Amino acid sequence: MSAWRAAGLNYINFSNIAAKLLRQALKADLRAEADKRSGTHIKITKWQEGKPIKESTY
Amino acid sequence: MFVRFGNFGSFVPLLVQNGQQQQQRGMATLKSISMRLKSVKNIQKITQSMKMVSAAKYARAERDLKAVRPIGDGATQFYEKAEIQPVQDIPQKLVIAISSDRGLCGAVHTSVARYIRGELAKDDQNIKVVCVGDKSRAILQRLYGKTIIMACNEIGRLPPTFIDASKLADAILKSEYKFSAGQIVYNKFRSVVSYNTSILPVFSLASVTAAPKLSVYDSLDDEVIQSYLEFSLASLLFYAMKEGACSEQSSRMTAMDNASKNAGEMIDKLTLTFNRTRQAVITRELIEIISGASAL
Repeated sequence: MSAWRAAGLNYINFSNIAAKLLRQALKADLRAEADKRSGTHIKITKWQEGKPIKESTY
Repeated sequence: MFVRFGNFGSFVPLLVQNGQQQQQRGMATLKSISMRLKSVKNIQKITQSMKMVSAAKYARAERDLKAVRPIGDGATQFYEKAEIQPVQDIPQKLVIAISSDRGLCGAVHTSVARYIRGELAKDDQNIKVVCVGDKSRAILQRLYGKTIIMACNEIGRLPPTFIDASKLADAILKSEYKFSAGQIVYNKFRSVVSYNTSILPVFSLASVTAAPKLSVYDSLDDEVIQSYLEFSLASLLFYAMKEGACSEQSSRMTAMDNASKNAGEMIDKLTLTFNRTRQAVITRELIEIISGASAL
């Protein structure tokens, strides 16, 4: 078992962290473009019995 | 306001408070027509600018979509080549509805919701729904609110990113809901004027490891499969979101184009009625003056 999975991450988290580091390593002009794709806005709410149960910030 | 008096059978107009709005039957006053004309003109301005905005957004969405298509194709190929079937002993299924927060874009959201309603009508015990975007949630909430396990919003204002998709995939994987197979319901972009409501399959780890033809892939161990499944869920969601966003913008463009056209027709008709009414008023006044003069 790899170290990151033992630490409670799944492959999605792992690859996103890797992608973030790669973006940071880019040269300034390319980085500006890549940073545009790194944002996130989505809000996820869990539902139960037809009602939202809590605002969670994943 | 007209009040009928007994059996005389004649209409006697009574001026009650709103004497200003007194009007002849079948003939709107000049003022009301011009007010209506103005409001229709304003609506046309709004729909026209919405069309321009969505045209620009659509151009970008289509460019993005071209880049994303290989990701989606690659992820679906795996399920096809390995001929994965959902395992029989877990009947639970998951349906992910890809829509957005924004309306005024034709039947984009309704067609996704209609498909899911059809699925839920067949079996509403074993299907749970994840709603992406407020619109699909609003449609499904009333009848099938109990089947919703997760809802996402703040989607559709800006183009979806991979991070959005991976957050969602992460949330789905971390939810306690165990499913054997799932569907992503989204609108597949075909051309500026058309989209198809389609589905992408997703499967659980148990279903994949039980697949008969998994051996076509070399050197797979459980961890590789698990990692790949996690990643492929995120990429399938990302692909579906991009397709959905592109269809939505193109559909909004068409819808707003039609709305502007309809408003244009209305404006033509109203202008004609306005001019006719104005002419009628002038004629009537002339008649009144002339007949008044000739009565002297």
